[in-house]
Amino acid sequence: MTKARSIAAIAMLAMFAIAPLLITPVGAQQLSDRAKQVGGKFMCMCGCSQVLTECNHVGCSVSASMLKELNQSLTRGNSEDVITQMFVQEFGTKVYAEPPKSGFSLVAWVFPSFCLFVGTGVAVFVISRWRKRPAQHMATVGGAPGISAEMLERARAQASRETQD
Amino acid sequence: MDVFGSFALVLAFVCAVYAFAGGIAAIISRHPLLIKSTRQAGMATCGLIFLATFSLEYLFFSDNFSIAYVVAHSNRDLSTFYKLAALWSGQEGSLLFWSFLLAVYVISVLITYRNKNGELMPYVGVVMAGVQIFFLTLNNFVASPFKALASPGVDGVLNYVARTDGNGLTPLLQYPEMVIHPPNLYSGYTGFTIPFAFALGALLARYPGEKWIHLTRKWTMIAWMFQSMGILLGAHWAYAVLGWGGYWGWDPVENASFLPWLTGTAFLHSVMMQEKRGMMKVWNVWLVFITFLLCILGTFLTRSGVVSSVHAFAQSSIGSWFVGFLALIILVCFGAYLKNRDYLKSENQLDSIVSRESSFLFNNLILLVSCIAILSGTLFPVFSEWITGDRISVGAPFFNKVNIPIGLLLLFLTGVGPLLAWRKTSTESLKRNFGWPLAIGLVTGLIALGFGFRQIYSWVCLILCVFVASTVVLEFYRGARVIRARSGASFAASAVDLTMRNTRRYGGYIVHMGMVFVFMGLAGAAFNRDLQKDMRQGDTMQIGPYTLLLQGFDTKPEKNYTAQRMLVEVLRDKKPLMMLYPEKRHFATTVENGTMVAIYSTLKEDLYVVYAGNSPDTQLPVLHAYLNPLVKWIWFGGAVVVFGTLVAMLPNRRAVLVLSGAQEPAVQTLAHGLTSSVTMREGHD
Repeated sequence: MTKARSIAAIAMLAMFAIAPLLITPVGAQQLSDRAKQVGGKFMCMCGCSQVLTECNHVGCSVSASMLKELNQSLTRGNSEDVITQMFVQEFGTKVYAEPPKSGFSLVAWVFPSFCLFVGTGVAVFVISRWRKRPAQHMATVGGAPGISAEMLERARAQASRETQD
Repeated sequence: MDVFGSFALVLAFVCAVYAFAGGIAAIISRHPLLIKSTRQAGMATCGLIFLATFSLEYLFFSDNFSIAYVVAHSNRDLSTFYKLAALWSGQEGSLLFWSFLLAVYVISVLITYRNKNGELMPYVGVVMAGVQIFFLTLNNFVASPFKALASPGVDGVLNYVARTDGNGLTPLLQYPEMVIHPPNLYSGYTGFTIPFAFALGALLARYPGEKWIHLTRKWTMIAWMFQSMGILLGAHWAYAVLGWGGYWGWDPVENASFLPWLTGTAFLHSVMMQEKRGMMKVWNVWLVFITFLLCILGTFLTRSGVVSSVHAFAQSSIGSWFVGFLALIILVCFGAYLKNRDYLKSENQLDSIVSRESSFLFNNLILLVSCIAILSGTLFPVFSEWITGDRISVGAPFFNKVNIPIGLLLLFLTGVGPLLAWRKTSTESLKRNFGWPLAIGLVTGLIALGFGFRQIYSWVCLILCVFVASTVVLEFYRGARVIRARSGASFAASAVDLTMRNTRRYGGYIVHMGMVFVFMGLAGAAFNRDLQKDMRQGDTMQIGPYTLLLQGFDTKPEKNYTAQRMLVEVLRDKKPLMMLYPEKRHFATTVENGTMVAIYSTLKEDLYVVYAGNSPDTQLPVLHAYLNPLVKWIWFGGAVVVFGTLVAMLPNRRAVLVLSGAQEPAVQTLAHGLTSSVTMREGHD
């Protein structure tokens, strides 16, 4: 692999790995109002494991009151940080729909990217080792001296296996 | 019948213990009679589990409300259809159902290989019996479904009683898909026991050659297909019943079902490396082990209450049994590996990084990273609570952010991998195979940009989908063209012919095409829209091209519930299109409510309408409408994936050269020196 290819491969990998940290969630942009946008960052606390704005269990009083609280807070002109603090004080850190990108919670974000990098490193190492190994059981064409019928048959079977799929 | 069922379970346990212990003795002594008797004990175990399961079903159908499990999950008015499904609606019954499905697999294996693979089968039998012992222990001693209904008397002695009616089935489960979704998912979970048994058995037996891999692959495909169907049916159930407008919420239990699917997919790809090149033997064995471990872990997550989920069963102490079993499996797997690791020596040699081997390696890497990301996200709240004392929620936004880039990378490899040659791919071959698909993908992307496509992930997904679809179509086209030139058959017939000659390869392409459809559907989610409005009779709501006119309400009494329906007329361009009836159901027995979504589905989009209850402020009924693009593609893609898997499991038809003077589509000189017109005919292997 040339140096340019290596750099391109690493750059592409890095792009995929850090994308989760940089790009806004799919669907966030088309939300029609701010309440929905902010509400999408919290969980409904009724135990349904759904995002606040997506919980519509019939008769779910928890999401209704949380959304009402959220709307009132936005009407008062509170910032997203203030609203977040308000919900965290009320329900604890489990109200976050995703782990905050700070403290121990950062581990949740970094770990998959870390695994991707380490895994890629291992894969590249493994491939480079495989490439350095000499070929085994490779019969030459034309029945060269020293090649038995059994070896030829094995080579044919191998060729057949490798070209079937 | 409950005594009969209990007795059958106890006997099944005894037989399983004999199959396990006798099997070990048979392996050591190699006594043919002992081998035969342990195999028969294995079959008897399965037969007895079938009897116990039928006993429980009989108790449901006969409305026997002296049994606690029947009381908790059925009632007289419950339809026959749902009485069947009540078997797996609770902890005890679903564990028996697990044993039942496992027994179906075990008896199938025992019958299929009764006179084959004599060196390997005793080991496989012991592993399968070991797994059966664990579940029969739960069925007999931890969560028996045959417990009689009892209440403690004043003297502390239990009084056995019978109720006139039961509590009924949870409303959310009273939906047709709930009758087919769990059996499919459980068939997937339990099915992975068989590859595990073969892998561990082959390792313990030091079974020579790659034959165990061939045997394992078919069972893995069966389990994988059921797991795929189970996941998609679950997604469809969530979409059509829960009423939140989505199909996948990254709930811990959903994630638990997805994890073995990912590692199973990795195995189905990497197994080819071992079959064709004798490579990655250690990796393959561990992939099978991990897949089975993830199946047990998923069951543990669903049943232990360690993570909060709407799908989870009631919290119970059963989790500790699963932890113990997981620890035991890990111990056995490590022990077997350490003892026999020299048996897994691979013939690893690679000519070029641009090869099929490399693409499989990266495909496995991406699938494993996705699996780790989902597993770590699912368990993070637990770890966070242990370490910091604070329980952090990890919801859908996190999983979407982490997994969408990984999914796109995987989609890219789906297109690239199959077109790379084994050992080494030449530059010429790269140009020939990827030139057109890449160009078509990029042009589609540019056109989409021109039409105002601005969602980055969906845009990339669209390009990759077109790229992968083009590679698949091109592969079919090239192969079918050659056959057509030789046989003179139609293009469609030639494509079918091509597929049947190498079902594994072309079945795999069909599966890839199905995944493209699924990804297209998922990409559509970026453009979901929704609107909620308090509605009076005669009010209208506009969403996209549709006008929703509330014509009125009605009440529809059914046997087991009463439905309140909104009568919504859908108009498009001011012309009536159809009526939709979103409803709210009240189940008197359980005093619970449920929703039933109304959906108008087209290939372009779903109009998804929910009766979301009454507004607390105005007391008016609330209509929540969603416009979800391309959702139908997901279900269609799922069907294509299942079809492709079935094709891949078919035996190949062999092309046979048949001399014929009547037809002259092509004239070739045969190696034998004969010159004749040649047509291709097929015969089964």
